[in-house]
Amino acid sequence: MKKIYIIAIVMIAAAIILLTTAAEDMSTYSTFADAARSGDRVKIAGQLSKDKEMYYNPEKDPNYFSFYIRDTKGDEQKVVLLSEKPQDFELSEQVVLTGQMKDDAFVATDLLMKCPSKYKDEEVYIKEEGK
Amino acid sequence: MQEIQYVGEHLLPGRIGQVAILLAFVASLLAAVAYFFATQRRSLPEAGQWLLIGRGAFLAHALSVFAIIGVIFYAMANQYFEYQYVQAHVSEELPMKYIFSAFWEGQEGSFLLWMFWHVVLGLVLMASAQRWEAPTLSVLSLIQLFIGSMILGIYIGFGDEPTRIGSNPMMLLRDVMDAPIFASADYVSQIKGNGLNPLLQNYWMTIHPPTLFLGFASTSIPFSYAIAGLWTNEHKGWHQPALRWALFSGAILGTGILMGGAWAYEALSFGGYWAWDPVENMSLVPWLVLLAGLHANLIAKNTGHSVRSAYVYYLLTFIFIAYSTFLTRSGVLGDTSVHAFTEMGLEWQLIGFIAAFVLLSAILLGARYKQIPSPPKEEPTGSREFWMFIGTLVLLFSALIITASTSLPVYNKIRQAFNPLFEGRVITDPIPHYNKYQIWIAVFIALLSGISQFLRYREFNFSKYARRFGLHIGIALVLSAVMVFLTTRWIDVNAWQYVTLLFFGWFTLLANADYLITFIKGNVRMAGSTLSHIGFGVMIIGILASGLNQRVISKNFFVMDGLIEGASDEQMRSNILLFKGSPMVMEGYEVAYTQDTIDHFTRTFTVNYKRKNKKGEVVESFDLHPNILYDKSFTKVAASNPSTKRYWDRDIFTHIASLPQVEIDMDYRRQREDSLNYRLHQAVVGEAISFPDTVQLSNPDTFTIRTYRAAVVAIDRAPTHPDYTPEEGDIAIGATIEVSRNDADSVFTVHPVLVLRGQLLYSYPAQINELSTRIRLNDGVFDAVFTPEMNLDYQTFTFRQGDEINLNGYRIRFAGFNRQPQHPNYQPREDDIAVSAMMQVQAPDGQSYDAQPVYLIRDSRPFNLKDEIPELGMHFRFTGIDPATESIEMMAAQAPPKPLVIPFELASNSLRSDYIVLEAIEFPGINLFWAGSCLMMIGLLFSMFVRIRQWQQA
Repeated sequence: MKKIYIIAIVMIAAAIILLTTAAEDMSTYSTFADAARSGDRVKIAGQLSKDKEMYYNPEKDPNYFSFYIRDTKGDEQKVVLLSEKPQDFELSEQVVLTGQMKDDAFVATDLLMKCPSKYKDEEVYIKEEGK
Repeated sequence: MQEIQYVGEHLLPGRIGQVAILLAFVASLLAAVAYFFATQRRSLPEAGQWLLIGRGAFLAHALSVFAIIGVIFYAMANQYFEYQYVQAHVSEELPMKYIFSAFWEGQEGSFLLWMFWHVVLGLVLMASAQRWEAPTLSVLSLIQLFIGSMILGIYIGFGDEPTRIGSNPMMLLRDVMDAPIFASADYVSQIKGNGLNPLLQNYWMTIHPPTLFLGFASTSIPFSYAIAGLWTNEHKGWHQPALRWALFSGAILGTGILMGGAWAYEALSFGGYWAWDPVENMSLVPWLVLLAGLHANLIAKNTGHSVRSAYVYYLLTFIFIAYSTFLTRSGVLGDTSVHAFTEMGLEWQLIGFIAAFVLLSAILLGARYKQIPSPPKEEPTGSREFWMFIGTLVLLFSALIITASTSLPVYNKIRQAFNPLFEGRVITDPIPHYNKYQIWIAVFIALLSGISQFLRYREFNFSKYARRFGLHIGIALVLSAVMVFLTTRWIDVNAWQYVTLLFFGWFTLLANADYLITFIKGNVRMAGSTLSHIGFGVMIIGILASGLNQRVISKNFFVMDGLIEGASDEQMRSNILLFKGSPMVMEGYEVAYTQDTIDHFTRTFTVNYKRKNKKGEVVESFDLHPNILYDKSFTKVAASNPSTKRYWDRDIFTHIASLPQVEIDMDYRRQREDSLNYRLHQAVVGEAISFPDTVQLSNPDTFTIRTYRAAVVAIDRAPTHPDYTPEEGDIAIGATIEVSRNDADSVFTVHPVLVLRGQLLYSYPAQINELSTRIRLNDGVFDAVFTPEMNLDYQTFTFRQGDEINLNGYRIRFAGFNRQPQHPNYQPREDDIAVSAMMQVQAPDGQSYDAQPVYLIRDSRPFNLKDEIPELGMHFRFTGIDPATESIEMMAAQAPPKPLVIPFELASNSLRSDYIVLEAIEFPGINLFWAGSCLMMIGLLFSMFVRIRQWQQA
């Protein structure tokens, strides 16, 4: 047998092992209920509750921003982000959080927002009066 | 329905553009076909004619592409907002220097950029490829045909929902969307441009996309050569030219990727240069495969082995480019990427693009596989080609596992297509996920690139050479161990995996440096690959240093202690609040926010860093200037640009994470100003008043009462205020007020200003941040300071120079004219005739005062500007000059003196707004990353030039 085949087999074996271990890094989007039950670090996709309070007072703590998210199951949960309030946060619709439940809040260390208008604006910009 | 005759539209550029788009498409088809026959019938006499047709068609295609681009630029430069693409990417405010960025901001523009580079490279091929011209240009034209279809924008099929092919950049806005505004014939004059996303308004956006797209485009050339080789069944001749192109492509694509990293690090506030974002990954993957191809190509050229692999790698490189195009442009990445395009209905077309080239490659490769020469004898284990080949497999392996993880959204989509209930999977923490695997790839690549340099091609007698080989490798290994030890004195390497990587990083660096010196003895022609491999080693050390040891400077546990709300993840907290003028000590630095300036939409902050020695002497001091960019309405921060202090061994990265809401949103600021609870107070000038202020501490009834003390020290009729720019005709009053509060031990002096301009009042309040207090003048101040004209009982006097009269016991003398009059409300103009009368007043107590009322003729009309002696309540108006008698007419009045009671308002709930939220991170050794990765690219380019010279000399 050629050496190359041996190496190929080794690599394929390595790939299979890697793929099986990689499965641990992956999960489905979780819900707040699951996060509360398991206490694990999870990813949650949800909608920003725009009617609820968004709190960021840098004078008190520049690394504390709280808001409310409604997850895919419809549960609403207070979320704490341990950093500043991201730009354009109010405009976001879909929010993806990474973090875990701590006490009564979901503490997120990473946040990704999708603003539908960020790269393509559907509006026609009408010139303002007097400009 | 009646057709509207629109006015103000410029339809000609659009028509030219439409024609050019169609022409480009048709010409690329013709070129592909003509070159196809030129290749197929290459042994027949008619081949020459096909070649000529192909050339003509490709030139026509090239001209059309240039024309499309030219027309779009023309429409953009002239701001023809009736075109959707222009409206979406340009605005009146957009500086011309960003017009290139605006052009390739959109999908259509970036497709055109890609086509542009294909055209340029195609022309180079046409001039240089000789017998490979026909097959390679046929392939390239075919690629252009597919990309050209993306901007075609034609509808195929009938019925209600015809299929749209491509998205046309020359579409009119009114054809793209339905809006009531298009009912008016002059809608063009009413619309304005959207403009370039402020995040993209920097020079990186000008240089990164063209470089990256040149990199993308250049991968098509080795691909074309590979297809050409399979097609013509000539499996050797392309090794040399494809290698040159692959070196070029590797250098340019690599540089493009690096620029993206540099952009993210330097201009965006990502706080790093690589985040394993899908878009980043899918530009890296083709580069990795290209490098595999490059090495296989070298083996093939030198030994005749690995020809099949070289084919596979070059074909895969381009297929990965197509796949990357699909991932980033179809919207399939959805919420896993921060910078993918959103979908625009090109998904199936993009899938067709991939499928076409996968099929073409697979069929050709399958058909020719058996005919591709392959030496019967395997590569010897001690030979360079054997280990190089293993290296290419490692690179491919790396590319495949990155692709597998990045393709998770595609996998989800496919599963969901069959089972709508399938829940999509996501990678919880992408960065550790990718790092975990790629670290071993890097270890293997470093090891292989270190040892294989010392091996020789076609080594059949390794045992003879083994001693020398072992010696060099052994020395490199020992030295690496020493260097690892030294490196860990400098940076913390806290896991054995990282120590291993560090070790092999040093190993490839040292081994290649050794090879450069002892084996090729500095022979520059051979230096390219060693340079690249040294660069790779340096890059690894840089990645480990800056990645593992990045240190958040902006934290201050002492200040934070006991103030933190909610949960705690200390290491996650990277922001600190910095008040203007109050330095804060953090991680060995004394950091102060000293000032900020605003210019148009950019607000630049000055942040001063000081480092002190043990004695408290300042050993180093520098300023950083992070800035933020407001959006057009000044209601939000559109971009926050960091500023970085560079040392040879580390960077200090600083960015404005946040600002007080009143500094972000001017609407909110106005609301906030309106909602302040101002209370009116009155004080006689020179006297102090005191008043209580009640603050509710908590519901329902805990209050604290503080006592304010305020004194109006002086009134200023020509006041200044940082936000106030005087205009002619303004009536402005400023007050100097001293304020103190019982719970603070200082007295604050403030200068609020109130301005009456025409019928409008402008208030310029003063803020005392330390007391959260804001003070403004009440409009009653005008009545207090000025006596209304109607209350004045003017008497008219006639003076000649030197005359003196008596008014209420005051002796008033006209001392003479001043032909250069000065008056707070007078700004001289060129044709003015202006003179003031110098009036001297002597009070009964012997005090004397001056007044200078002005008489002015402007545009043949007389005006007078009054002057007043506030202390006496005496007013003068200079109403006429009689040249004949050399006398003047002066109106004078005296109002009964009254105490100056100044009304002012004070709000004690004005939150301070003089701070920034700062994030500062130290990246040690980041320059090693940049230097190493640049060295890799330099090595590639260098090899390319050497090979081009060899080719030209041959």
